[in-house]
Amino acid sequence: MAEPVSPPRNAQPDILQAPLHTGPITALQYIARILDHTGAPNRDKTIDHVTAGDPTTAVTGIAVTAMATMDSLKHAALSGHNLVLAYDPPFWSGNDDLDRLEGNSLFLEKRDFIRAHNLVCFNLHDHWRDRMPDGMAEGMAKALGWTRYQVGGNPENLLLPETSLADLARDLQAKLNDPTIRVVGDPKLAVKNVATLWGAAAQIPAIKLLNGPLDVLITGYTHEWEAVEYAQDMIAAGGKKGLILLGEVMSIDLGMKHCADWIASFVGEVPVEFIASRAPYWGVG
Amino acid sequence: MENGLSRRIMLASGTAAVLAVPAAARGRTLTAADVLSRMRDNIGTAWREGGVDRIIAGSADMPVTGIATTMMATFDALKAAAAEKLNLVITHEPTYWSHQDRLDQLQDDPLYRRKLDFIQEHRLIVYHFHDHWHARRPVDGINYGMARKMGWTGYMNAANNRRYDLPQTTLTGLMQSFKVRLKNRTLRAVGDPALPVSKVMTSWGNFSSFPGIPFLDGDADVLVIGEAQDWDLIAYAQDLVAAGRKKGLIILGHVLSEQWGMEFCADWLKGLVREVPVRFLPLIEPYWNPSHPVFEINTRI
Repeated sequence: MAEPVSPPRNAQPDILQAPLHTGPITALQYIARILDHTGAPNRDKTIDHVTAGDPTTAVTGIAVTAMATMDSLKHAALSGHNLVLAYDPPFWSGNDDLDRLEGNSLFLEKRDFIRAHNLVCFNLHDHWRDRMPDGMAEGMAKALGWTRYQVGGNPENLLLPETSLADLARDLQAKLNDPTIRVVGDPKLAVKNVATLWGAAAQIPAIKLLNGPLDVLITGYTHEWEAVEYAQDMIAAGGKKGLILLGEVMSIDLGMKHCADWIASFVGEVPVEFIASRAPYWGVG
Repeated sequence: MENGLSRRIMLASGTAAVLAVPAAARGRTLTAADVLSRMRDNIGTAWREGGVDRIIAGSADMPVTGIATTMMATFDALKAAAAEKLNLVITHEPTYWSHQDRLDQLQDDPLYRRKLDFIQEHRLIVYHFHDHWHARRPVDGINYGMARKMGWTGYMNAANNRRYDLPQTTLTGLMQSFKVRLKNRTLRAVGDPALPVSKVMTSWGNFSSFPGIPFLDGDADVLVIGEAQDWDLIAYAQDLVAAGRKKGLIILGHVLSEQWGMEFCADWLKGLVREVPVRFLPLIEPYWNPSHPVFEINTRI
């Protein structure tokens, strides 16, 4: 057995080079291993960080979920998994801004629940998307049975057997169990060339895709006064395009199931469980 | 409340009639600048620079043949305005697909060019009227127009025009009222469908965790909004419900949640401008759901 190597005294702390130790594996060590396995570089500014809990906690199990909702955390705690990896954060803003939650009773309740169950929450967002290929897109394509339709090995772009926009929407609704899909465009539009922006779509990337060869863009959420208006205007100007909004959670849920399967493929010491989410809202037909 | 407001509107109309006569008497052509200055004088609050309110296309010195108010200056809305010879388009939401109508990355965008060509060809003037219509006093113009459309003006809280005390119903019942009044196909709700609701907070249009969280934490049973990000205010509402709080959140869609505020804007402008026709151009709901597919976008140019 080789002697453990001490890190150089003046080395910069790096989440990917956690110090060796022989005790139980901590959340920090699993996080480092998972990020390392993505092969994705750290972004200059990333939202992938520990959002709650003590990262030196010994891990009893790993829960992977779309959003660190109260329901997902309860499920994780009940299953005895204390490292929760979620694509979307626990504290209700993109960057988990806590400044204005001072004294908020739900914040205190959620934080205390996390403390009481020794949970550690980590945002696994940017690295999962920056993996090659994009882990989310790979997982969603797999869940939809679309892997064989990938264009050039890129799961974000698909060439499906031709269908109509309405039938594609119905197919997504059935496969994703998504009751509140919203669609912009002619229901009879013939579609086969599909681009995807799972999760949220920003204005300029959505506009660029809509100007490309796609027939339909599928995303989770995009602002109504941005890409939704743009898609409407393209159609009003004669463009043959469609836009499908699944809702954020339904557009990423099965992509995070794939993430759980992927983590289980290289983490053998503790159980890895996917916690499915339901659509957060309901409609009235 | 409703009577008081109606009286104020009539008073505003009376004032406008006085304003309108000299312009007509001089035989001078009505320009966009004339209309904007009357809006400024009647908004009931200080006109502030900054913000997003400005002329997005056309210029203040252009003659006005008619005025269209609309929720969003979509291509469809511009086509309808041009067809009705209403060349001053007062829009609550952007023309160029962002709140600030940013064009720095869209100079070569083919749709931007096409929309601009259409605007110029029809000599349209597009005015973004967002911040000041919300700042209107005594009541935010959008809030008043939506209350009127919902038949809720009598329930509006005297101290807070976002708050209503309605006869008790359920979350589902309230959803049905919106569906009937706003013709909304794709509205969504978070919470127990059977939740009893009577104390209603509203924030028509887009809303986020801040300042939205206190709206849900107060004594309201339900918060009604147009649009929010799923990982933000919607996630908060979900967690509130999961933690056992008796709360609901209704998400109407942005355009449908505010557009009747722009119908009221047309009525307000009719009191200020007598020289040309003023009309509200309602927009379609942008979306359909797979159980009721419809195609309502006008694809003719």
